Amino acid sequence: MNIIVCMKQIPDLQQIRIKERKPVLEGAPLIFGDMDKNALEEAVRIKEKVGEGKITALALGPAKLKDGIKEALAIGADEAVLLLDPAFAGSDSVATANALAKAIQKVGEYDLILCGEGSTDNYPGQVGPRLAEMLDPPQITYVRELEIADGKIKAVRNMEESFEVVEADLPALVTVANEINEPRLASLRQILQAARKPVQTWTPADLGLAEDEVGGKGVAIEVLSNLAPEEARKQVVLTGELDEMIDKLVDSLTKEGVLGR
Amino acid sequence: MEKMDVVIVGAGLAGLAAAYCLADEGLEILVAEKGDFPGSKNVTGGRIYLNPVRDLFPDLWDEAPLERHVVRERLTMMAETSSTSVELMSNRFDQEPYHSYTVLRAKFDRWLGDKVAEKGAFVIPKSKVDDLVFQDGRVAGIVADGDEIYADVVVAADGVLSLMAEKAGLRKEQEPKHYAVSVKEVIELSRQTIEDRFNLEGDQGLAQLFFGALTQGMMGGGFLYTNLESVSLGLVVGIEALMEKEPKLEVHQMMEDFKQRSEIRPLIAGGEVAEYSAHVITEGGLHAIPKLFGDSILVVGDAAGFGLNMLMTVRGMEYALASGAMAAQAIKRAREQNDFSAASLSYYEQLIKDSFIYKELQTFSHVLSFMENPRLFNLYPQVFCDLFEKLMWIDEQPKQKMSTTVLQELRGNLLNMDTIRDGLNFLKI
Repeated sequence: MNIIVCMKQIPDLQQIRIKERKPVLEGAPLIFGDMDKNALEEAVRIKEKVGEGKITALALGPAKLKDGIKEALAIGADEAVLLLDPAFAGSDSVATANALAKAIQKVGEYDLILCGEGSTDNYPGQVGPRLAEMLDPPQITYVRELEIADGKIKAVRNMEESFEVVEADLPALVTVANEINEPRLASLRQILQAARKPVQTWTPADLGLAEDEVGGKGVAIEVLSNLAPEEARKQVVLTGELDEMIDKLVDSLTKEGVLGR
Repeated sequence: MEKMDVVIVGAGLAGLAAAYCLADEGLEILVAEKGDFPGSKNVTGGRIYLNPVRDLFPDLWDEAPLERHVVRERLTMMAETSSTSVELMSNRFDQEPYHSYTVLRAKFDRWLGDKVAEKGAFVIPKSKVDDLVFQDGRVAGIVADGDEIYADVVVAADGVLSLMAEKAGLRKEQEPKHYAVSVKEVIELSRQTIEDRFNLEGDQGLAQLFFGALTQGMMGGGFLYTNLESVSLGLVVGIEALMEKEPKLEVHQMMEDFKQRSEIRPLIAGGEVAEYSAHVITEGGLHAIPKLFGDSILVVGDAAGFGLNMLMTVRGMEYALASGAMAAQAIKRAREQNDFSAASLSYYEQLIKDSFIYKELQTFSHVLSFMENPRLFNLYPQVFCDLFEKLMWIDEQPKQKMSTTVLQELRGNLLNMDTIRDGLNFLKI
């Protein structure tokens, strides 16, 4: 059972400060997105259930990823493939999917590709579906539960007002939702052992990609600005008799949705 | 899994220094840090003095993320509604190599942790070590999260309340009078504002220590250090003093009151609090040092009580770095002889005793009892400031002779046995 798990590190959202409405990303530690962890956890559970297999963690990101990926290896990935070259920097969903697709082709045979349904930063949710279109396996997205038997996968999908149960032949690509599992934490011993697991680093040339097909040069989307909402104070002053003011206050707060409906 | 060569508990300055010095030897080293990253649980005022440790880590200091080099030293004695300061501005302190820098631990320790990891040691955060593993009565490793990790030697670098020293039976009961608690805020201000308010140019820095009314009669003091783009402001109070104070005072409230003082408020006006922290500080000096070694275990840094209040300044970070380096030296020697017994590791204590750390702890061993004198915080600052006020005040009445004013004030307040005895105590520090 060969599973490839696509993962991405983002700044820890809890540790981002806003300065003059802009997010300050330096200093915020990098962590794997929530649903990427769900994807890895699912891969480890499948391998445990099947009794054998190989899990490859695949990630595109900055140099720090060399250190960051140890967490994935500690949790249960058997090996890692990293795309760290500075040329990959500035990738959007399109450029990332392109690069990952080439990397997956280089990794070779797979039974299952697992991705998070979206990354916790901008939540575009595109990489999984784009990979499926490029590599051609059946894709099942927003999966909250899955089961693998006899070369087939049965999955329960989160639809807005219902669940949809879908079946496909392997190999397949699945994007997982937060509800699918509770990711485990790696123990200290597993972290130490992770250092011995093989990690390969591939450049654009290794993937047969030209410099202008990757990173900032390969994007389709330009980010114009990224600002925190302006928080102007309402500066409403209530006057009158105490009872009157209380009524007005309750009214205002109800209109704002602060007090119960 | 096989054994580690060395397990270091705590990625503070002492732990990381030991790991840094050992990492060159091709050893399997684990530094287990309970915080989210090295530095996340470390607090200093503070400032580091480089001269005692520059040569221990020659390649580090050029790149190290240090804040400002201190050229202005201010000592402030606070009365209820007034204060008197003495300030030294030194051109010598402004000449390279600088002798002291203000520092931010979240930045510095993190950077040092990365350096240690680059050298090949495992620096693993979010790993809380709960216990030691014992085999045949000697330390054989650590227990973290249920996992047992074995090692030839364990270095207890887990800070002032060292659980490891306790588990190893090296520490006697800790007394409240040997410890203080500190509350600190890092307040962000623009570089320009800092330079304007504190009269600094470029990367020059100021260090200020306060004592007197700010600790409401309790042993302790306050500090202010200028960083590149922020100011570290805080106060320290003795734990026994806090326990005995009636009615009870909360340290965080004392900190709020301190920030409201007319001397402090304008210095931090318009600033944004970026970090709020608190920590226990060792004040016991020589009286609070545990046993420094045992079979397969060494104690370094704050865990070993290596912190000193020298009144004019406070020491700790250089002690931590130096003791870590000395522990590494002792461990290398132990490896050569393949002997990690207490007898072999006692070499560490020898190194400590021959070093500036121990010599200074001895020299200043009377500071604690000197500081236990309540008049230091209540009486003298008030008398002195009142006297200064009286000298400077011009009334409708014609002004008296200076000597008259001085003698009047001093006779009223200070002519007694206590003062004479205090004066003699001065000679001890």
